[in-house]
Amino acid sequence: MTRWRWDHPRQLVLGLLLWSLWFVAVYGGHALACRAGAPAPWIVTGLLDCTAIVVTVLAWAAWRCLAAARSLPAGVARFLARSAAALHAVAALSTVFVGLPILLVPACA
Amino acid sequence: MSSPGQLADGSGGPPDAAALHAEFERVWGNPRGWRALTIVNHSVVALRFMVTGLVFFVLAGLLSMLMRVQLARPGQQVIDAETYNQAFTAHGTMMMFLFAVPVLQGAAAYLLPKMLGARDLVFPRLSAFGYWCYLFGGLIFCAGLALGLAPNAGWFMYTPLSSDVHSPGPNSDFWLIGITFVEIATMAAGIEIAVSILRTRADGMALHRMPIFAWAMLVTSMMIVFGFPPLILASILLELERAAGWAFFDPTRGGDPLLWQHLFWLFGHPEVYIIFLPAAGMVSTLVSVHAQRPLVGYSWVVVSLISTGFLSFGLWVHHMFTVGIPALAQGFFAAASMAVAIPTAVQVFAWIATLATGRPRWNPPMLWLAGFLATFVLGGLTGVMLAFVPFDWQVHDTHFVVAHLHYVLIGGMLFPLFAALYHWLPLASGRMASPRLARLGFWLSFVGFQGTFLVMHWTGLLGMPRRVWTYDSGMGWDWPNLVSSVFGFVMAFGVAATLLDLALHWRFGRKAEPNPWHADTLEWAVGQPPTSYNFASLPPIDSRHPLWEQPQLQSAIAAGDFELPRAAHGRRETLGSDPVSGRPREVIHLPGNSVLPLLAALLLSAMCIALLARFYWPALAAACATTVVLLRWSWENCAHPKAAAGEAFDLPKGLALHSRTFDGPGLWGMGLTMAANAALYASFVFGWCFLWLVAPAWTPPAKAPLDVWTLPAATGAFIAGWALLRQLSGRLQHGVDQGLGLRLLAAAACGAAGCAVLGKALAGATLAPTRSAHDAMLAFLLVYLLLHGALAVLLALLQAARVRHGHVGLQAPYEPGVVAILWLFVVGVTAVAWVAFGLLPTALAGQG
Repeated sequence: MTRWRWDHPRQLVLGLLLWSLWFVAVYGGHALACRAGAPAPWIVTGLLDCTAIVVTVLAWAAWRCLAAARSLPAGVARFLARSAAALHAVAALSTVFVGLPILLVPACA
Repeated sequence: MSSPGQLADGSGGPPDAAALHAEFERVWGNPRGWRALTIVNHSVVALRFMVTGLVFFVLAGLLSMLMRVQLARPGQQVIDAETYNQAFTAHGTMMMFLFAVPVLQGAAAYLLPKMLGARDLVFPRLSAFGYWCYLFGGLIFCAGLALGLAPNAGWFMYTPLSSDVHSPGPNSDFWLIGITFVEIATMAAGIEIAVSILRTRADGMALHRMPIFAWAMLVTSMMIVFGFPPLILASILLELERAAGWAFFDPTRGGDPLLWQHLFWLFGHPEVYIIFLPAAGMVSTLVSVHAQRPLVGYSWVVVSLISTGFLSFGLWVHHMFTVGIPALAQGFFAAASMAVAIPTAVQVFAWIATLATGRPRWNPPMLWLAGFLATFVLGGLTGVMLAFVPFDWQVHDTHFVVAHLHYVLIGGMLFPLFAALYHWLPLASGRMASPRLARLGFWLSFVGFQGTFLVMHWTGLLGMPRRVWTYDSGMGWDWPNLVSSVFGFVMAFGVAATLLDLALHWRFGRKAEPNPWHADTLEWAVGQPPTSYNFASLPPIDSRHPLWEQPQLQSAIAAGDFELPRAAHGRRETLGSDPVSGRPREVIHLPGNSVLPLLAALLLSAMCIALLARFYWPALAAACATTVVLLRWSWENCAHPKAAAGEAFDLPKGLALHSRTFDGPGLWGMGLTMAANAALYASFVFGWCFLWLVAPAWTPPAKAPLDVWTLPAATGAFIAGWALLRQLSGRLQHGVDQGLGLRLLAAAACGAAGCAVLGKALAGATLAPTRSAHDAMLAFLLVYLLLHGALAVLLALLQAARVRHGHVGLQAPYEPGVVAILWLFVVGVTAVAWVAFGLLPTALAGQG
């Protein structure tokens, strides 16, 4: 098993891949929970918790990539780590923005 | 590595440039006459893609003129309603599937090997096969138009309008079969371009030095890999419903027409960015060259491209805001639709900053770029307006949406494409276009476009629905429609002038000086027009702007100063590079010209035509014949003498031919093909869950039709076969080849056992796919698994035969690893089927 690296090219897609999974989870989870007749406050709490966890993970990953980039010399590794930091941050911000309707729009309506 | 120009066997330096050119032409040269049909060279195939695409563009444009004539005045009777329906369906379909994507992929296929420092794309015969599929699929589609049987349900083919009840003739079949055939080309090109970008870059061209157009095409190609399969699946399901009566979209039999909308737009919205991102890559390249400075914010543009690629998959439901989606779900998609504008805006600011801080010259490419910026930004803004759910409800299916999409697609694709054509014409032809005709073409197109579509927003806000063939006077739509029609013709004259300029310049244009725009990327180092082999030697790269820093690179390349400066061995070679660092890992040998791609595409065309005519036995015969041709094609591969001619002693030190290693483009090609296949399968599983949860008349049977052990037994058999393949591949890596053929036969036997289990289940289950969507989904699943299992068995047997003929073994250990990827996929899909189609329904039934 190779060591987890913050300058690995997989970091370029991992953040937005997590965003995609979160998106499917909240969209599908909301539909399933409403169909199962779960109480709306429970659904909102569940969706918010899920969103908060994902945002925290993405923000932490962005910070770790940025820290890795600062310690690397100029070259492809630093480019990858810096770009990955930005992409993790994009994923975190997208999660916050797309998740805002959970606070503003009633569930199952 | 050997020193530049020196051969590993020490046979001395390269000959002079002219002799070297003759040597390469003998191996890479393109035949003339009938034998030109066998050409697989990327430059030729790509030009064919672009010219064919432009012909389809002209046809689709003529249809739009017909529609504008019909709409110019209220109560017009120039064409009847049915002809109008066929015209708008064919116009949209041809522009999206036969023009936009193929032309951009053609441009990428032409440019990328040259930009990356390679001699060709990695799968040249696949390129040729893709082109023939595209041409024949397009011709099948156009045959429907010529016969008055063109599809008439709109380019997104919504069910139930496109189902056999409401479209009983063959019209919809022309779309479903013709366009699915064309999609083979799109998928093939997407996979090939992605692998080529990752694996055939110049020595030292690490990811941070990669041309920005390559980044754009890498993201686009990955989007194609995951974006097109949902549509391919939907088309297969709808054709099965129309031809065989299987129930997928019929709500009275447990299906749901909304499933079509989900699957279509899962493809359809990423498609917009699949069209835009290559154009954005061209724009980034061109603004940098014409401003004579590096692109501002290269890293930010890369980040924007990747972000757009992902975010664009989270927007599809914004096309379905009016179908009754819960408010919160609409909120998610509305927010995502707004969010995607941000990375696009980052690119726009990078382009403006590049132009503002550079020294732009107002030549024809820059004119089109300016037109693009003005138009596309407006289209983007109306896109953000449409992301607002209440506004979308008001203008849904009106001419406002038509105006928006034309701003995005013409502004975001056609204008950059014309800019790119003017920019790279001197490379392709060695001549310059006429500046006067170019300016006339631009200004007529730009003014005509704005006059047509800016006004159309107003028509839509006044409530005129799209796709109505005529309208009454007094609705307030008369003048806006007349203005749109008049300016539509102005635009048509502009496009005609531009196309005339592009055509005439090949003969009458003045000779271009070398690198006339003083560009920075490697494609301008291949000669104007390029040679068939691009580079006589493959240069190392240590900068993002090689030609700005080494203007004399072209002569050094032509003199054979760099890697692989020989072709006397008869092989077509290029360097296989590390995907991250760009350092060479092996020498990729490429297949030469062949009639097999054309033959396979012709047989597939015969199959499509037989399916259209509903002659199923001839269709099956054509499918079998296609399989035989494809197997023959795959036989002449890797270590086959026709694929790796000559002795391999003259390679750079430390490198081997890829077929003699465990690494190579085929691994990546198979991996991406299976990723696309996984996307199709995931769409199918989504469809199963969607119908189960949402379809109003979904009725699962009281007793599960499949025996509980069927899918686990099949999974187990396929796992055993895959394990054997993995084991024998590992043994080859350790230098052991005893029992190679026997192990492959044993793997095939395991696969055959899995297929037998599935076949028995299919024959034994009392499925009624014409009566229930539940049974139709299960029957489709079993056929899908069976076909993939059979393919895995067939390829294992083929490997065993290749071992027997010496094409696979210790000296050529590469192929079993490629086949193992397919086996792993078969294991995965069967296991997922067990969970999703076996365990999950049982659990749900238990709860119920």
